[in-house]
Amino acid sequence: MSPIVGSPLARIDGRAKVTGAATYTADTEVRGALHGFLALSTVAGGRITGIDVRDAERSPGVVAVFTHRNMPELVVPAGQGTAYWKRVIPLQNAEIHHSGQPVAYLVAESPEQARHAASLVKVTYEARTPRVGLAQAMDEAYVPEPGLKGPNDITRGDPAAGLAQADVRIDVSYTTPMHHHNALEPSATTAVWDDGKLTVYETAQGINATKATLAEALEVPPADVRVISRFLGGGFGAKGPVWPHTLITAAIARELGRPVKLVLSRAHTYTSHGHRPETHQRLRIGAKRDGTLTAIEHVTTSQVSRTEDLLFNTSEPTRMLYACPNLRVTQRAVQLDLPAPSMMRSPEVVASHGLETALDELSYELGMDPIELRLRNYTADNPDADGTPFGSKHLKECYRRGADAFGWNKRDPRPRSMRDGDTLIGWGMATAAHTAGGRPGAGARVVISAEGKATVQVATHDIGTGTYTVMSQVAAQSLGLDLAHVRFELGDSNYPFAFVSAASATVPGVGAAVNRACTAARRTLIDITVTDPRSPLHGIPADRVTIEDGTLYDTDRRARRDTVRAVVARHGEPVEATTEPVFIPPGYSTGACFAEVRVDPGLGQVRVTRMHGFFDAGRVFNRRTLRSQGIGGAVWAVGFTLSEHTLVDRRLGRIVNPNLSGYLVPVNADIPEVHMGFVDKPDPANPDSLGARGFGETPMTGMTAAIGNAVYHATGRRIRDLPITQDKIIEAAEDQ
Amino acid sequence: MSDTDDHDHSAEEHSRRTVLKAGAVGAVAVAASGGMETIAAGSPADVRTAPPAQAPTADITLRVNGVERSLTVESRVTLLDALRERVGLTGTKKGCDRGECGACTVLVEGERVKSCMTLAVMEDGREITTVEGLARGDELHPVQAAFIRRDAFQCGFCTSGQIMSAVACIQEGHAGSDAEVREWMSGNLCRCGCYPNIVDAVRDAAKGQAK
Repeated sequence: MSPIVGSPLARIDGRAKVTGAATYTADTEVRGALHGFLALSTVAGGRITGIDVRDAERSPGVVAVFTHRNMPELVVPAGQGTAYWKRVIPLQNAEIHHSGQPVAYLVAESPEQARHAASLVKVTYEARTPRVGLAQAMDEAYVPEPGLKGPNDITRGDPAAGLAQADVRIDVSYTTPMHHHNALEPSATTAVWDDGKLTVYETAQGINATKATLAEALEVPPADVRVISRFLGGGFGAKGPVWPHTLITAAIARELGRPVKLVLSRAHTYTSHGHRPETHQRLRIGAKRDGTLTAIEHVTTSQVSRTEDLLFNTSEPTRMLYACPNLRVTQRAVQLDLPAPSMMRSPEVVASHGLETALDELSYELGMDPIELRLRNYTADNPDADGTPFGSKHLKECYRRGADAFGWNKRDPRPRSMRDGDTLIGWGMATAAHTAGGRPGAGARVVISAEGKATVQVATHDIGTGTYTVMSQVAAQSLGLDLAHVRFELGDSNYPFAFVSAASATVPGVGAAVNRACTAARRTLIDITVTDPRSPLHGIPADRVTIEDGTLYDTDRRARRDTVRAVVARHGEPVEATTEPVFIPPGYSTGACFAEVRVDPGLGQVRVTRMHGFFDAGRVFNRRTLRSQGIGGAVWAVGFTLSEHTLVDRRLGRIVNPNLSGYLVPVNADIPEVHMGFVDKPDPANPDSLGARGFGETPMTGMTAAIGNAVYHATGRRIRDLPITQDKIIEAAEDQ
Repeated sequence: MSDTDDHDHSAEEHSRRTVLKAGAVGAVAVAASGGMETIAAGSPADVRTAPPAQAPTADITLRVNGVERSLTVESRVTLLDALRERVGLTGTKKGCDRGECGACTVLVEGERVKSCMTLAVMEDGREITTVEGLARGDELHPVQAAFIRRDAFQCGFCTSGQIMSAVACIQEGHAGSDAEVREWMSGNLCRCGCYPNIVDAVRDAAKGQAK
């Protein structure tokens, strides 16, 4: 039998998605549901002095208008298992912390009526002059208390001495703007109360955390809250934590005694569920002439809100990627009158973009090939964990095979040396790395019916990553059933617990849970068979029995067989197994990224014309879906490096491009062919997950710097302020 | 239920002008913006003079996937919301509601249209094809089959629009080369980043139909 795990199967949910049958949160039909719409603050700080909702209330179809004057009280959730990053809830008092904060919640019979009514709410404010630019407040930067990612100031060895020993030093600063997730599906909540019990259809990457958060906020037992998210239209971190609009919608539905549905407008998503904050980073690196690193000092300063100071841009790349004896990484925060930042795909990309760009700068200082520089400082062990070996790390193979596929050895290292007519061609590379795991895992339940079919349930999510597909593969293989006889169900908090689908942790966590539960069920099936006098396999040792495609065999005499169907039918009841969550071991996926750009020197226009990535993601469950995730990361890198930025009006503190025409995510014409290669060797550190590691966020961490380094190679201009837009390239050319 | 007896009547007594004049602490009165994009601070719309929202309704008939659907809709209802909220066909998605993302693409009389950018009343009597109307029974449309084979989606939220756009793109004769497909499929955003696979799928389907 060919192994099911590792086969590049087409997505099991593909048919539902191409026919429009997949039911996303806002597609769920709830009879009698009212429609909500938010009215948002137009000032960036201060307090509400007056609010007049009479016209809104009189507007046809409007059922209720909630403001801080009449909104039910909510508890700010902070307990075990919750995921509410904010320390305040809007509509609870008159305070305004940022522009775009909800000041009223309109409820009407139709979406059009609710939306129109929002335009009729009149608010007066006592506003203070906002401060929203990082550069204007750098002198207020401070190091926050240890947060989600541990301490924010870490020293190893003696960085000052390391810099003093160096033959070559660089001291460079990079800036990145605010970014927004812009999942194509806007966040949506439909809250339904029935006899004190709450069901919420939610665009959630974490249904269990959403359940716990709602329960605490609304002061109901967690057992009375059910959260459902069968299909998610992209999350990228925005839908990982729980945000105020979800809690408010549920509270209003309870107050009104009717279901309420809220779908955020695209504009409202820009201030409702976090963003990647604006950052400034300074890197000082020292190296010997032979490229050996002697010291790295990496200070990153990020925007936080006035009410929270959690940081999400981890410093792991600097701490883990290279052997460097002397190191200091500091994460600082600056409070501004803006919404709270949050996790966003590949949170460490800010740090890795800085590090991998700085290493490219160093390679030119040294006159050394950038791959050679990285190999010179290669580490097989984890420098961040006292030299504990990684489960496995095949990064050297990634450099070699990625470089071969790209044709790196044909590169003329001199900037502006490669041309096609007037067009400048640049080739750049960088290392990618992402940690996944080191966190709570998942449980799973499997039930095998008398038809010989298995249903496997986990309260996890398919955020587009292929969970439905690859977990069906793992289940089928671990059970020994045909794939068609396995049904994997997710997206219901009544199923066994799983952690939030973020940080690329679903495959190592849920994969392990499904494997454990299905392996246990398989063992039970075999035990039942060999102890059943009616079975042809009765009496033979259990370890001599195997199951393939729904048939149990005696491995010594394959003619002696039974079927799963017959075994369960004779047993008289379904065969079940349930496993409890087990901690996921840390996994470190790495890779090498290569990019080619073509630059029009007259217009400063950059086109990415080739991208290659070669990755060690542990064992590959499904090359087809994994490749797609890798391509997705590369596409995100194009946006991060060349086009995406959220712009804030300095005077008003308001986002001026809360849309998809002013915030430029890559379009089809921006993306060339993308090549993805994989080492595909199991990571021995996670045998439960069959050696698979988290991967999805890995490619972006290297591809951004590969593109930026390619722009430098093409033009000889180092643009240290992202995104690398045409104006900056032309300006840099004019300065020289 | 709503705060009928808890209004801040003082707000009513100030005109925008008087409040703006009282500006030592920078107090400003602006309409809270339902859509941030609609009202700029400092130049607030004077919503008090706005007429009550007695949106007129119209009786219309849409031919959706070959079935006549008679609806009474307010004139402000978009074709997208008519399909999703009134007809109950939720395969067509709302990603931005302003013509930027393409998730709501449908065919009107065979041509691709962003259904959030047209009002339902403007399409009275027209033939609408949505993603639900492409397959013939169990047999997928070649573009749908190609999207599955090429893994041309991840989360699937943009997929309905991508597929409708691709069907039209091929019919228009805009699928002659990969570069042409990239250009003519650029009105449909995919945040998961499946563009290379979408190009592969459209090329496959176009070749299949050319045979």
